[in-house]
Amino acid sequence: MTVRRLALRYGLRVGVLAAALGLWQGLSAAGVIRADEFPSMSQTATALWDQARTATLWTAIGQTLEGWAIGLAIGAAAALLVGTVIALNSFAYHSVIGVIEFFKAIPVIAILPIGLVLWGATLTMKFALVAFAVFWPLVIQVCYGVRSVDPVVRDTASVLRLRGPRRFALVIMPSAAAFIATGLRVAVAVALIVDIIAELIGGGSGVGVRILLAENAGPSAYPVMYAYIVVAGLLGVLLAGAFTIAERYVLHWHESQRSAAVERNIYPERTEVTLAVSLSPGRWPGADPGVAVRRVVRRVVGAVGWLEVAVLPAARVDRQGAVDPVGDRPGPRRPVLQS
Amino acid sequence: MTTALVPVVSLVKVRKVYGGAAGPRTALADITFDVARGEFVCVVGPSGAGKTTLLRCLAGLMPPTSGEALFEGTPLRSVPEGIGVVFQDYSRSLFPWLTVARNVDLPLRVRGMGRAGRAARVAEVLASVGLADAGRQYPWQLSGGMQQRVAIARALAYRPDLLLMDEPFASVDAQTRFELEDLILRVRAAFGVTVVFVTHDIDESVYLSDRVVVLSRSPGVVSEIVDITLPRPRDQLATKRDPAFARFREHLLSLVMTR
Amino acid sequence: MTGPARADLSSSLEHLVAGYAIACVAGIGLGMALWALRYAREATSPYVYFLYVLPAPVLVPAAMTLFGIGFSMKVVLIAFAAMWPTLLNTLDGMRGVDAVKLDTSRVLGLPRWRNALQVVLPAAGPQIVAGLRNSLQVAIILMVVSEWEASTDGIGYYIVSAQQSFDYVGMWSGIIVLAIIGVVANLLFVVAENRVLHWHYGARAVEGGTR
Repeated sequence: MTVRRLALRYGLRVGVLAAALGLWQGLSAAGVIRADEFPSMSQTATALWDQARTATLWTAIGQTLEGWAIGLAIGAAAALLVGTVIALNSFAYHSVIGVIEFFKAIPVIAILPIGLVLWGATLTMKFALVAFAVFWPLVIQVCYGVRSVDPVVRDTASVLRLRGPRRFALVIMPSAAAFIATGLRVAVAVALIVDIIAELIGGGSGVGVRILLAENAGPSAYPVMYAYIVVAGLLGVLLAGAFTIAERYVLHWHESQRSAAVERNIYPERTEVTLAVSLSPGRWPGADPGVAVRRVVRRVVGAVGWLEVAVLPAARVDRQGAVDPVGDRPGPRRPVLQS
Repeated sequence: MTTALVPVVSLVKVRKVYGGAAGPRTALADITFDVARGEFVCVVGPSGAGKTTLLRCLAGLMPPTSGEALFEGTPLRSVPEGIGVVFQDYSRSLFPWLTVARNVDLPLRVRGMGRAGRAARVAEVLASVGLADAGRQYPWQLSGGMQQRVAIARALAYRPDLLLMDEPFASVDAQTRFELEDLILRVRAAFGVTVVFVTHDIDESVYLSDRVVVLSRSPGVVSEIVDITLPRPRDQLATKRDPAFARFREHLLSLVMTR
Repeated sequence: MTGPARADLSSSLEHLVAGYAIACVAGIGLGMALWALRYAREATSPYVYFLYVLPAPVLVPAAMTLFGIGFSMKVVLIAFAAMWPTLLNTLDGMRGVDAVKLDTSRVLGLPRWRNALQVVLPAAGPQIVAGLRNSLQVAIILMVVSEWEASTDGIGYYIVSAQQSFDYVGMWSGIIVLAIIGVVANLLFVVAENRVLHWHYGARAVEGGTR
């Protein structure tokens, strides 16, 4: 990725944002958007800035994140545990899967009133709802991941006489990891959405509540309301981005991350075995302990004449920022979410 | 109007360099050879010699970095009319959402053929590859060998002048491979198509071809072009018993293994 | 017998169907557009993603100020919110199509429009359908939430008014109806999916067996 292309791309993005904001402000100033219905861009920006200067914004974010984090942790832990246990036993899987699919199809919004009745507008209600919403799709994804271990890998493990916990840790978990990662990525977003819905409708504290309060305070508070709406979106983007970075780091060895480092324009020769050994120190530019390792690997493997080794550092992976799932390179095959 | 004298394919000093992560990589350094009308030419070479790159240049999928690749006298800028390609991985090349007949029918629709004409042509070409009854099935319902036949049928449906094949029989088992080799010889005799066949299997190249182009390993150049003077029609048992077969085989093997 | 009236049910379902239909068409259409137009895609992808993760119910107050509390507000809101999963999945699916299929399409001589509609789109089919499914779930949530705040009929309205008047039996029956809607919608979706994607599941079954 040349500097020029990068500059062009980010220039375009900034340009689009500037144009959109400018358009908003222009429409407000021209009266196309009525001031008592929808605040202007400058009003919203000012409101956002004001909120950011005081503790209100940050407290609200903290409160939202509390519910998000606790609910996500409970839901994910439960899903991982239950999912693996069910998936390893074929009988259990086939008996239970229908029930799970049923509960997954229930709109989480239907559970909200129950939560309100049980716990009122509290943190408990929030994280309980989040955990419930996160659990069902994730447990299905975990099951699918565990059951989808490549038969060749499974057979190799049998031949190598790996059993029990060892087999689980060394063979099953890594294979299922990519599916689980996909499920977690969605869970992160879903958890935030449900969390904010719970606040918006149920009450309590957090960003959603701020939006609700601003709405009820009438048109004069609309700038604040829209400021918090923007905050809600930004929060989602940041959390999803942080997750993608974490995923890339933890799963650097997996082929869906690795193949992103292989050059696009080399058509994969199928008679050659192209090993892209991607080591991940690229996270911290400058530190590259992988270089020495790669040199050794290249020498050893190069001696075996028929293996062609392309050793590419992970720093070559296009760093568009973790926020960008639809970036320039067409996707290496990531497991699709099993819905 | 192409005359019989203009070679179907003409490569002159073709070079292909990839701008890779580890620096530029020269896949093909200097490739020069012609293929005359009706010839069956095999391209062999060790892994990494750039055989697939060469095929992609010939198909018009990829322009050479320098040099000229001509198809029937005109330089290749994009995929020209009159070329058929059979890829190695038939399961990825055939479209799984279409039946066999629809797969074969697709290039005919693109070329604006009428419905009756298409139906007749599809039936004809499927019969010629021995799959007359498989039209209504889906490719993934068929065995590997049968799927590759579908791919061949699809490539031949619109009567191309040149058929390019990229290690097409590498993914099938040995028995099936012999059947498919005979199939391709029959089909080529029936349709009169020129074939360029990339393979790493020396025996196969000797059995099938009129000439064998041997590529050296990276950077790819033509080390030698061997005329295969074995009589036609070829036969799996008789031809392979011929002492000349063993001589050609040995010669090619020595070329490929040392380079 | 307490429970949401037929009118509530049909009103909600009308909004759902209208909004979801628009979301599907817009999602797939815009997804294809972004696939085809490279610069538009690169310029807008962070904003598309922002709108995708934005919890759509926060837009209810905004929608109310802009569109009032009638049919159009609900349909616009449902459509807008439900569009994003389909859009992103369409885009991702189309970009991730197997290179061998694209090469095949080129050598068979398919012009750009045929390639897009007859090769890339079907190949991306499974992922597009996954997106459509997520969109359905989002649409149902928005259907309810849009009726929560200010509405005169609908399931969401029924549930919230039952809860506020401490009519717990009524509230529960509303919730159960909602759950049934979710399950039935999902079931219908699965049936449709199995028909449209029969080739995909067939191919996968074969592949799983021989691998």
